[in-house]
Amino acid sequence: MLTLLEQIDKGTIWRSHGGIHPPELKALSNRTAIEKLPLAKQFILPIPQVGDTALLTITAGERVLKGQTLTAGTNFTHCPVHAPTSGTITAIKPMPSNHASGLPVLSCILIADGKDEAIETHTSEISKLDNQQILKKIQDAGIAGLGGAAFPTHIKLRPASDIELVIINGIECEPYITSDDRLMQEYSDEIISGIAIIERLLTPKRIIIAIEDNKPEAFEAMQHSLNRSELSSDKTRITSVPTKYPSGGEKQLIQILTGQEVPSGAIPAQLGMLVQNVGTAYAIQDAVINGQPLISRVVTVTGQNSEKPGNYWVPIGTQIDYVLQTNGFKGKLEQDKVIIGGPMMGHSLPDIAAPVLKGTNCILLPSSDEIAPEQPEMPCIRCGECAVACPALLLPQQLFWHAQAQEYDKAASFNLNDCIECGCCSYVCPSDIPLVEYYRVAKSALRTQLEEKKQADFAKQRFDARQQRLEDEKIARENKAKEAAERRKNNMTGTDKNAVAEAMARIKAKKAADASADTSSTTPAQDKKAQVAAAIARAKAKKSLSSEATAISADTTDVVDDKKAKINAAIARAKAKKAKQAASADSGLTSEPSNTVAVDDKKAKVAAAIARAKAKKQAQAGNGEHNQHTNAAVASEATASEFKVQTDVPQSAEEIKKARIAAAVAKARAKKAQIADSAESTRVDAVETDVEKESELNSQADVTQSPEEIKKARIAAAVAKAKAKKAQSTGSAESTESTESTESTQIDAAESSQQSSQTDVPQSAEEIKKARIAAAVAKAKAKKAHTSDNVETVQTVAATPSDVISQADAPQSPEEIKKARIAAAVAKAKAKKAHTSNNVETVQTDAATPSDVISQADAPQSPEDIKKARIAAAVAKAKAKAKAKAKLEEKE
Amino acid sequence: MSGIVIAIVVLTILALVFGVLLGFAAEKFKVEGNPLVEQVEALLPQTQCGQCGYPGCRPYAEAIANGDKINKCPPGGTATMEKIADLVGVDPEPLNATEEVQEKKVAFIREDECIGCTKCIQACPVDAILGSGKLMHTVITDYCTGCDLCVAPCPVDCIDMLPIEQTTKTWDWQLNAIPVKQVQEEPQC
Repeated sequence: MLTLLEQIDKGTIWRSHGGIHPPELKALSNRTAIEKLPLAKQFILPIPQVGDTALLTITAGERVLKGQTLTAGTNFTHCPVHAPTSGTITAIKPMPSNHASGLPVLSCILIADGKDEAIETHTSEISKLDNQQILKKIQDAGIAGLGGAAFPTHIKLRPASDIELVIINGIECEPYITSDDRLMQEYSDEIISGIAIIERLLTPKRIIIAIEDNKPEAFEAMQHSLNRSELSSDKTRITSVPTKYPSGGEKQLIQILTGQEVPSGAIPAQLGMLVQNVGTAYAIQDAVINGQPLISRVVTVTGQNSEKPGNYWVPIGTQIDYVLQTNGFKGKLEQDKVIIGGPMMGHSLPDIAAPVLKGTNCILLPSSDEIAPEQPEMPCIRCGECAVACPALLLPQQLFWHAQAQEYDKAASFNLNDCIECGCCSYVCPSDIPLVEYYRVAKSALRTQLEEKKQADFAKQRFDARQQRLEDEKIARENKAKEAAERRKNNMTGTDKNAVAEAMARIKAKKAADASADTSSTTPAQDKKAQVAAAIARAKAKKSLSSEATAISADTTDVVDDKKAKINAAIARAKAKKAKQAASADSGLTSEPSNTVAVDDKKAKVAAAIARAKAKKQAQAGNGEHNQHTNAAVASEATASEFKVQTDVPQSAEEIKKARIAAAVAKARAKKAQIADSAESTRVDAVETDVEKESELNSQADVTQSPEEIKKARIAAAVAKAKAKKAQSTGSAESTESTESTESTQIDAAESSQQSSQTDVPQSAEEIKKARIAAAVAKAKAKKAHTSDNVETVQTVAATPSDVISQADAPQSPEEIKKARIAAAVAKAKAKKAHTSNNVETVQTDAATPSDVISQADAPQSPEDIKKARIAAAVAKAKAKAKAKAKLEEKE
Repeated sequence: MSGIVIAIVVLTILALVFGVLLGFAAEKFKVEGNPLVEQVEALLPQTQCGQCGYPGCRPYAEAIANGDKINKCPPGGTATMEKIADLVGVDPEPLNATEEVQEKKVAFIREDECIGCTKCIQACPVDAILGSGKLMHTVITDYCTGCDLCVAPCPVDCIDMLPIEQTTKTWDWQLNAIPVKQVQEEPQC
């Protein structure tokens, strides 16, 4: 059994399947030597010619030299385009292509200047070059397969696997074409040296130069050249192949020379074989040795419509119509076809302005007699002639069947893609079916399908990636939000670090409470008594006001009385508060009223809103006496009359206003108080008993009858009130006294009156006014206290703001008073809130905390200190709230 | 009599044996999900255009697997419809779209008019639009599926759907599509 190489050496030739023997008609063009075509004026250079992408290295309007590179590559597959002559690139725009479709492709338009100036080229010795340099030279020369497929040669010459057999294709099986024939006859030495370069690059075991037996001259010339060359005759042989179409096809040639079949979808390199055209070998030699880029090629111009059929060196980029013009085209462009390539595999050109390309080996200009007129297509008779003729061993009738039905998938399953479009089937078809055209359509449809499938997969990939990205972004966003929330929470607890300060305040409050509890040691019963007493005192004051409104003198005394009563009330309240703090120690009692507190408080608030509105109206109407409809009305009148008394004294308008506001507030409070109090029956009783005490107070107040003195007394009263409160909140010793009985408060009041007499001496009118305002506020507070004083806890809450105000009384400037009042109002609001939302325990402690803080702040009397104290109060309040919340949470 | 008993016993045993076998097979070779969905989705053109009324190709594939009509995919065209009909085993139906809709198009942004609002970028299901806020946007033609979804959100209507131009690479060899020159019949002399 002989090995393949031995068989090759013996010159064994295998039979390939199918094939036809069409008339060769090569004699038309192979009789004359290759001529040079005169240089054209315009060249069209499609970019890129081979490969997909390229970068332009020139711009429109630039002058280029012959052989200058016009494109730069982006990857190693790039095959550059060169200027075929010197001239100017006038435009880069889409031009008709040398393609069956004639669709325009982007092209450089080169206007030749006729000088044909070339770039410098260097000849080089092959022996001094290494393989990489040779390949680089081949690539830079832009060499592509000149057999027709125009595949970049430098890629082919750098195979992944070892090449054992190199086949140089000099078959040229298609009718009419003689360019390779002439080239072999005239340039055999150059071709052989080109083959030597290929041999150097690939070092194959054997090189076969295959030439069809219808080219004896070429065969002979090549044989002589080979004998002269350095190529070893052991390795290289020239094989004559029997003429048959299409033995020039790559796969067919391999089969003929080796008997091996290239598998479907594979390339010859996988069998260790490589096929190169003789024209390519020539170009390689020209590029490597002479440094000439591939800018012209041999083109056969033939056909009966050609005046001078023959072979020509045609610069690549020359327009076909110029070739026809110089050659002498005898036909009519409208009627006669111009075919690029041979009659079997070529395509007719839709636009003859298209240029000659690297793969253009023949321009066929057949006359109408020469090519059989297109016959009408007849139905397939399934004779099977085509299957016999097919060199690729396909079943053309089946392919046709499916292609016609546009069942391209099924056509593909019959290996449509292995069809080399040689046209043998069409040639033998008795029904004149243009089978190859069907296959081309089917192939392009399959290609489109494949492309779409690829695009669909890519689109899906991108879609999925996008979805994933959106999902990730969403999750990231959510996490961020969560983190932010967490941070916020942390910050909140961070502010709650004030809880330390809060705790400190609480401890202080507790201590104070403990102290008071220790010292006072009052029983709950006493607390209640104290409260009752306070209530009585308050009721007294009101009664006296309402009943004795008619007489002015009485009024004045009433006012004094009222104030005293208020002082009493304040004292009583303070007492109550203290008692409450004490009571907080005894937890038993406090829990009882907790439910009623909230309800009453709410009611009180509602009532207050209504009453306030009423009070305003009344204030607007004037200070005159109205019919007394309700208790509330009585109270409001009382305050109104009181206000009147105050206004009687010479006073500035501004102060009157302030006073009025205070009065309105006070009225509202009064109303509230009465509405809330109406439920309590004990109050009524208390009022009766109080009358006596009232009279007592009156008698005390009677002593000072002059308006001035009254004023002073009032101031004194206010101061006394403040002092009393202070004393109660700070000093536990005093409070014990005050809490024991209402009598003691009276004593206190007496003391305060004494004090007032003392303070009488140095006081300006302004101060008096201020004091009055303060007094009004204090009154209002007192009434407020009444509103909810049926429950013990409320009193403590109300006491807190009153304390604040009592402190505010000390500084005498109007501004500070105002501020103090605002603070008081805020404090009140806080107290109320705390009251409604929290249970008794928390309210007590809360109220205690700010009051304590404030009581501590009482000592220094400078405005600055007061401010500080206020701030401290606000802070304390806030803390108290936070604490109350925390407590609630705990309970929940 | 004993023959009947034997028959019953044998058949019962057989039934039990096969029952166990089938049960085992059902567990062992269990198929997760509906494989039909994957197959249908592979046939769909993945333009994610929503012309079928579903938010993407996969939801439509799922709908087809659940018995929805197969003719709702204009980008896929008749070929896709027929393939799905084959796969699902239903009769092919005429496509519910005109030829014009079936023409393959890609979006093109008239860049002079673009205000850079990024709305089209957000609308594009395959991230084929490039750009940034207040900067000009452009369509990556190779990535564009021609789904049309970016046209509606554009506040300045600067997006056109242009048919894809045929190149020598995509040419379909429809030789009769080559413009035919009118031949002047010359009188014979």
